[in-house]
Amino acid sequence: MNIQGPEIYYRLPGGIHITETIVNMWILMAVITAVCAYLGHGLKDKPDSRRQVIAEFIVSKLYNMVSEVMGKKNLNFAPYIGTLITLSAFGSLCALIGMRPITADLSVTLAWAIVTFVMVQTFRIKKRGIGKYLKSFFEPTPVIAPLNIISEIANPVSMAFRHFGNIASGVVITSLIYMALAGLSSMVIKIIPIPVLQLGIPAFLSIYFDLFTGVLQAYIFCMLTMVFVAGATE
Amino acid sequence: MENYLSFVTIDLWTLIFTWGNLLILFLLMKKLLFKPVTDILNKREQEVNDIYDNANTTKEEAANLKSEYTAKLADAKNTAEQIIEGAVKKAQQDEEKIIKDARFKAEQIIKRAEENIELEKKNAFNKLKNDISGMAVSLASKIVERDVDETEHHKMIDEFIDSIGEAS
Repeated sequence: MNIQGPEIYYRLPGGIHITETIVNMWILMAVITAVCAYLGHGLKDKPDSRRQVIAEFIVSKLYNMVSEVMGKKNLNFAPYIGTLITLSAFGSLCALIGMRPITADLSVTLAWAIVTFVMVQTFRIKKRGIGKYLKSFFEPTPVIAPLNIISEIANPVSMAFRHFGNIASGVVITSLIYMALAGLSSMVIKIIPIPVLQLGIPAFLSIYFDLFTGVLQAYIFCMLTMVFVAGATE
Repeated sequence: MENYLSFVTIDLWTLIFTWGNLLILFLLMKKLLFKPVTDILNKREQEVNDIYDNANTTKEEAANLKSEYTAKLADAKNTAEQIIEGAVKKAQQDEEKIIKDARFKAEQIIKRAEENIELEKKNAFNKLKNDISGMAVSLASKIVERDVDETEHHKMIDEFIDSIGEAS
């Protein structure tokens, strides 16, 4: 057994390669877009459908969460946070139906973390001006400047690795369990070589590694993004 | 050629695609879900606010109308009271005047009647006096059987009767 990264599906000229992660992401995006289009079309002033009630519930919950964490003035971040949490959660949860989770690819979580990092630095510069922004790295003493810079860079790195690590470890453990159960069942039931033990048992582990961790990491990632960006705009 | 990326790797193209995909999905979700729903929520909130505003305005109007009507009612009551008061006053004045007039007239009538009575009495008395004195003269002349000086006697008798009248 060899634990590998995402499979490369296509190699396009110019060194561009389309990996499993990207294809899975497209599939998820199509599904999410379809769901959004279904939930968001033909809304009425007086909701008369369960569909609209659900859509309003989801959106108002999201906006409430964003306004609680980031304050009312940063409410225009809500669509981005909503997109991020949806893609992140579904990107992890798609493991439940056998797809390779997109968040088990470091490049994906790092890309999201870099977006957060860029947003934080941009808002900090906008808020304080470039001079004060640069000066803030040399406070309280210039000696500490390298540490300040490292701590700034550590934020996106730790976010990316946290999310990636949790989901990827789930993938690894799940495949290890499958391997172990396959070996065990071929050892125990030698007469009929049917992998009986692999049926059902991994599902319970999947509840933790895919469902719980997936949703939790999506929540944590978005919460950190909100806290950092809100801190930068204050 | 290796057909798998390694497990922990940073792949530039995956980064780029992820950013692109995130942007696309962000725009799609914003357009398809967040914007319509927030629009409808804001619209509803606006409507609710409008309803509340309307209710408040109506309430205020009602209160204004009420105070207006109360004032008008009080005015009307005052006016009615004034009218009644005026009428009563006038009636009292009229009454007094009528009574005064009536009393005056009655007094005049009584006075005139008294005067009439007095006149009649005087006339009657004079007539009686004349009659009596005539009778007395004729009686005396018959008794004496001679013609007495009639005017002289009349005078005498009148004096006599007057003295009686005064005494009576």
